[in-house]
Amino acid sequence: MKRFIERFYVAIIFIFLYAPIVTLIVLSFNSSRTRAKWGGFTTHWYSELFKNDAIMQALYNTIFIAIVSSVIATLIGTITCIALNNMKARPKNLLLGMNNIPMLNADIVTGISLMLLFISFGFRFGMQTILLAHITFNIPYVILNVMPKFKQLNPNTYEAALDLGASPVYAFFKVIFPDILPGILSGFLMAFTMSLDDFIITHFTKGAGVDTLSTKIYTEVRKGIKPEMYALSTIIFVTVFVLLLIVNISPAKEKQSRKHVSFVRRYSKQFAAAAVALILIIGSVFLFQGKGNQQVIVYNWGEYLDPEVLTMFEEETGIEVVYDEYETNETMYPKVASKAADYDVVCPSDYMIQKMIENGLLAELNYDNIPNVKNIDPDYINQSKDFDPENKYSVPYCVGTVGILYNKTMVDEPVDSWDILWNDKYKDNILMQDSVRDAFMVALKKLGYSMNSSDPKELEEAKQALIDQKPLTQAYVVDQVRDKMIGNEAAIGVIYSGEAIYTKRENPDLEYVIPKEGTNVWIDSWCILKDAPNKENAEKFINFLCRPDIALMNFEYITYSTPNTEARKLIEDDDIRNSTIAFPDLTQYNNLETFQYLGDKTDRIYNNLWKEVKSK
Amino acid sequence: MANKLIDLVNITKSYGDNVVLDDLNLYIRENEFLTLLGPSGCGKTTTLRIIGGFEQPDQGKVMFDGTDITNLPPNKRQLNTVFQKYALFTHMTIAENIAFGLKLKNKSKAYIDDKIHYALKLVNLDGYENRKPDSLSGGQQQRIAIARAIVNEPKILLLDEPLGALDLKLRQDMQYELIRLKNELGITFIYVTHDQEEALTMSDTIVVMNQGYIQQIGTPEDIYNEPENAFVADFIGDSNIINATMLEDRLVSFFGAKWQCVDEGFGTNKPVDVVIRPEDVVLCKPEEGTISGEVTHIIFKGVHYEMEVMAGGFEWLVHSTIMHPVGEKVGIQVDPFNIQIMHKPESEDEEVAYVED
Repeated sequence: MKRFIERFYVAIIFIFLYAPIVTLIVLSFNSSRTRAKWGGFTTHWYSELFKNDAIMQALYNTIFIAIVSSVIATLIGTITCIALNNMKARPKNLLLGMNNIPMLNADIVTGISLMLLFISFGFRFGMQTILLAHITFNIPYVILNVMPKFKQLNPNTYEAALDLGASPVYAFFKVIFPDILPGILSGFLMAFTMSLDDFIITHFTKGAGVDTLSTKIYTEVRKGIKPEMYALSTIIFVTVFVLLLIVNISPAKEKQSRKHVSFVRRYSKQFAAAAVALILIIGSVFLFQGKGNQQVIVYNWGEYLDPEVLTMFEEETGIEVVYDEYETNETMYPKVASKAADYDVVCPSDYMIQKMIENGLLAELNYDNIPNVKNIDPDYINQSKDFDPENKYSVPYCVGTVGILYNKTMVDEPVDSWDILWNDKYKDNILMQDSVRDAFMVALKKLGYSMNSSDPKELEEAKQALIDQKPLTQAYVVDQVRDKMIGNEAAIGVIYSGEAIYTKRENPDLEYVIPKEGTNVWIDSWCILKDAPNKENAEKFINFLCRPDIALMNFEYITYSTPNTEARKLIEDDDIRNSTIAFPDLTQYNNLETFQYLGDKTDRIYNNLWKEVKSK
Repeated sequence: MANKLIDLVNITKSYGDNVVLDDLNLYIRENEFLTLLGPSGCGKTTTLRIIGGFEQPDQGKVMFDGTDITNLPPNKRQLNTVFQKYALFTHMTIAENIAFGLKLKNKSKAYIDDKIHYALKLVNLDGYENRKPDSLSGGQQQRIAIARAIVNEPKILLLDEPLGALDLKLRQDMQYELIRLKNELGITFIYVTHDQEEALTMSDTIVVMNQGYIQQIGTPEDIYNEPENAFVADFIGDSNIINATMLEDRLVSFFGAKWQCVDEGFGTNKPVDVVIRPEDVVLCKPEEGTISGEVTHIIFKGVHYEMEVMAGGFEWLVHSTIMHPVGEKVGIQVDPFNIQIMHKPESEDEEVAYVED
């Protein structure tokens, strides 16, 4: 019995540890796009993955950074160990202790401090800053691995070699190096793995147009992570797993490792030459690529533009596009505000545009240079006045509404009001958005107030309404609304219209409604930054995106509604062109609003009330 | 006599506040087997490392055959070292280890092979060319270390406690082996040890050191029979060291008795130290002895008995082939030739040593 419990316990632990990874691997072979359904086995995502240039570029960057940073870190770390080894005990131990601190330090602290350092020294963010950062955080791991090998050395062997006539350098390579080589190799592999894995530090030190796999994956979170990424994550996991196996097994099998070592030793010169050549080639490609005279630096949401459009723009105008991505308005803002990178064009959401205008970050647009703005639906230009009162700073790009998605087989009454989310009949079948402004929008609209209210009494009422509703909800979620509704796991959910079109295609029983009390019309618009180094090119870029054929390409790629009326006319599929979900007639609805920036003080009030709701 | 091959002139060396060598002067003649002997921390290894070039003296000069080599790095010096922990190159075969120095000198392959063969034969390890150091015993590894050093035909071989890690039997075998090697090769050996028996067995000259100072230089017989101070007397073999007063030439007084001796020139009524080796103490009937006492302890040691005799308020150490049981009353006699008179210690380093091991 005791034995059984022991085994059961161990089994449970390992199931918990490995279940997430197994799920990921299984989903990477799922032919259905949604997580809720098993559509049969496929390797389609793996082949798609290798066809995707952006992902392949990120993969190349990741491997390049991992190799170069770990090679340089290994070199520096090993040399440091030689110096440390010759020091007296006290300073040596002090330095070794200091070496451990960066490893224990939170990544976010390391990342932010490196970013600040680079800014204060006026570095341009890009590949070189990522490399410097990775080398920096890799060195301690190399020292950690190499130093014990030095401690194991017989101090006399080096002297014996000198005694027999060897020069210090010859003695090091002939006598010391073979003995510490296992440590150097494991230090290198450790550094390589750490570099491969890193997200946070890379995130803070990367510049426009450079992405590693981890930052690339993260920029996709807004639109939902694509199955290609499951495939990629599976490959990364397997790679790291194999590397760790190599690191851990080699010291255990002494004989084998020795053979390995002597092999490496025999070909060490060739290895070194090959490594140097590789670094030089990659380095020169990296140095000489993209030094065009004309460029425009674009900072956009992840997966928020058809890559083909960029190629077309470059071919037609001869202006090179440096393209960078972010995942939320809140991560974009500090990067732009700190002026760490010289971006020209950004695509923030409504309330963020207002905040950026108020903080003087945006440049007024010269609409003479953007004639295609005439293609944009005047209703949305008008709606933009909520955040850009004089329409001076922004050109709408993607738009949408928030509404109720319901399952016709589970709800038989007509749905036209937010009130249905407070109906006892659907207890445990209601899904709410897990974000403060979205949740309060629903409650404020239900009560007949403005969703941009900052009246404490109205907000208090909204809070109470949300608390009353909470027992009825199944969960507060973000993008799981889509999957859960497709999988018939809930009857009613609050959802963005862009997701709704897609869910309806997967599950025809679903219906989308904009409630009569009004709702949120969200608008993501192109803006030019005040300090943009290439303002004219930026205007050309925005004008290009407003061209009907280009707007159509982006609509088909993103699937979020476009405010470009001329582009809509070009849509071939009648169902989509006439879809009232994708293209609602804004004049038919009352009380439509767009989020505004309410100021830090009101933001705090919202957040505190939200905490009360969540903790109930 | 042969010329001075190594001449250390006014060598001073300290680590921080710790003075390891203080104004040391020492020369080594060609073809000599010289041993630096002393307790740990006495500066003997530092002296060897300065000769080898692994340490730089703070002051003073190292002369080699008349040239100043003080600032010459170890790889440029015409001498080789055998280290205490062998320091073989573990990832190379025995042959590669031995060939290491020769390859650096760009010797031909035939010459190197010849030398490897010769050296292995010399240390009685024929046929071990392709073995790895790990597969050899401690004694075998030490002999490889010696072979690796001597194939370079150094003028001087430095040996830093080379037998320290070996067991007693092996150590004794290796001592004879080293003496044989030295005679066959005809090169100078500078040997460091804290084992006085090893030093007495092998050396032409012994340098006894303590706390950075040379205490006595001499042949093994000189050092053993005529120690110059209490430290040397105590460190070299067992001895009875007794506070005494030199009454006049050839007459010394201790434990209330007057003893005949052969030393002169210490003055009259001067405090001195007297050294008597335990094998020189003769036990006799109580009434026949200069003083008398009682046996308190006895151990059988093989070649002799080791006894402790309480006499004159002092515990005498006595070696004798005749057994006297515990409790027996005995008298003590000493031949005047075996009473060694020494000056009282002038400094701390000349006092009786307390050897750590």
